[in-house]
Amino acid sequence: MAIRRYHYARDVDEALSLLLAYEGRGALLAGGVDLARGPGTDVEGLIDITAAGLGGISRDAKKGLVIGATVTLEEIRTSREARDYLGGFLTEVMRHVATLPLRCMATLGGAVVSAHPWADIPTALIALGAEVAWRNEEREERAPLEELYRRPFRAIFRRAVLTEVRLPAWGGAFAFEKVSRNAGDIALLNCACGLGVKDGKVAWARVAVGATPYRAARLTGVEELLVGESPSAELLAEAGRKAAAEAKVGDDLRASAEWRRAVIPALVRRALERAAREVKGDA
Amino acid sequence: MKVYFELNGEQKYVEIKPGERLLDLLRRLGMKSVKEGCRTGECGSCTVLLDGRPVRSCLTFAAKAKGHRITTLEGLGSPEDLHPLQEAFLETGAIQCGFCTPGMILVAYHLLSHNPDPTPEEVREAISGNLCRCTGYAKIVDAVLLAAERKRKGDWR
Repeated sequence: MAIRRYHYARDVDEALSLLLAYEGRGALLAGGVDLARGPGTDVEGLIDITAAGLGGISRDAKKGLVIGATVTLEEIRTSREARDYLGGFLTEVMRHVATLPLRCMATLGGAVVSAHPWADIPTALIALGAEVAWRNEEREERAPLEELYRRPFRAIFRRAVLTEVRLPAWGGAFAFEKVSRNAGDIALLNCACGLGVKDGKVAWARVAVGATPYRAARLTGVEELLVGESPSAELLAEAGRKAAAEAKVGDDLRASAEWRRAVIPALVRRALERAAREVKGDA
Repeated sequence: MKVYFELNGEQKYVEIKPGERLLDLLRRLGMKSVKEGCRTGECGSCTVLLDGRPVRSCLTFAAKAKGHRITTLEGLGSPEDLHPLQEAFLETGAIQCGFCTPGMILVAYHLLSHNPDPTPEEVREAISGNLCRCTGYAKIVDAVLLAAERKRKGDWR
């Protein structure tokens, strides 16, 4: 089935009513990168939400970040709000994602909904404890992204519009690491780690690994190992080794499970070391 | 469907198909500097500027041009009146087969529009999404740095 109509939605209500009217044969787009690469054969109508009022980056009352679904990755990378959040952690993550022309097109909402297992953004968002909001025909709903990905989220977004991503304030530091064949390529493995330190001990830890080749997941066993301990070089190395044991890894055409298991310790250790260096001890 | 947009400073009102890609529309309108390479957003040869920002026209629906400003290489210079970036590419030998050149020049134009004095590293990062199979990139970096120097001296438009 060829694409028959292209709509420009003026607000979320219009986007949602068009989406519902297509009964599964419509698709929302902002950047449109994934859809242009190959829309599903059942897509008849494209609904452009670029002008639906879902742009903008702002700080919330608790000094977290609120990012609209149609904000592009390059807008995030160059924004003052992202530079001021967690010492520019998001700015650094965006620099690792694809290349400039694709970052000028791709949006945060697109990255969340496409949820490619190799993507860098879900890994960073899961480590940050991101919450996403969406509108369906009944109400506005919210959920932590980590929880949403355990639900049938593709079915949810066939009848809902993702509106924003909320990132909580953290009194610590995060770092992102990625291994890929070249700078613009997709990840063979990626990892985002956060640490808060109080009185010389780890007060909280967040560790997420993605492109394993499965979608990013937190490694709670590694987080538990770190909490309450002094962030010494030995502890962070042990955390890396435990990450390799805890992460679910597999083979794909880019790398073997064996290779991934061998690389995870160094990747997680590096991210933890960088977070530990940057943390200010005010968790 | 019909859309209005600005192409290289000229107003256009053209018929498009709802699923048509910007790459195909621009070539249909005679903008042959916009090259079809991979059609998957990887190679950069179809790069154009949308409201001054580089995008892959192969992965952009033509309908997204509605109400926006599109710039292709034809909008920067012509054979009779080369843009300083085009002159710099010629002078430094940064062109061999030429297929990647329009995309390279447009990302370089975008870089210099907000960073008039880039380091070689910043130039390499700016062109990192554009593949060239001929030059080895060194002369492209030289060309952008030469054009930047000329821009700082005021020889630019």
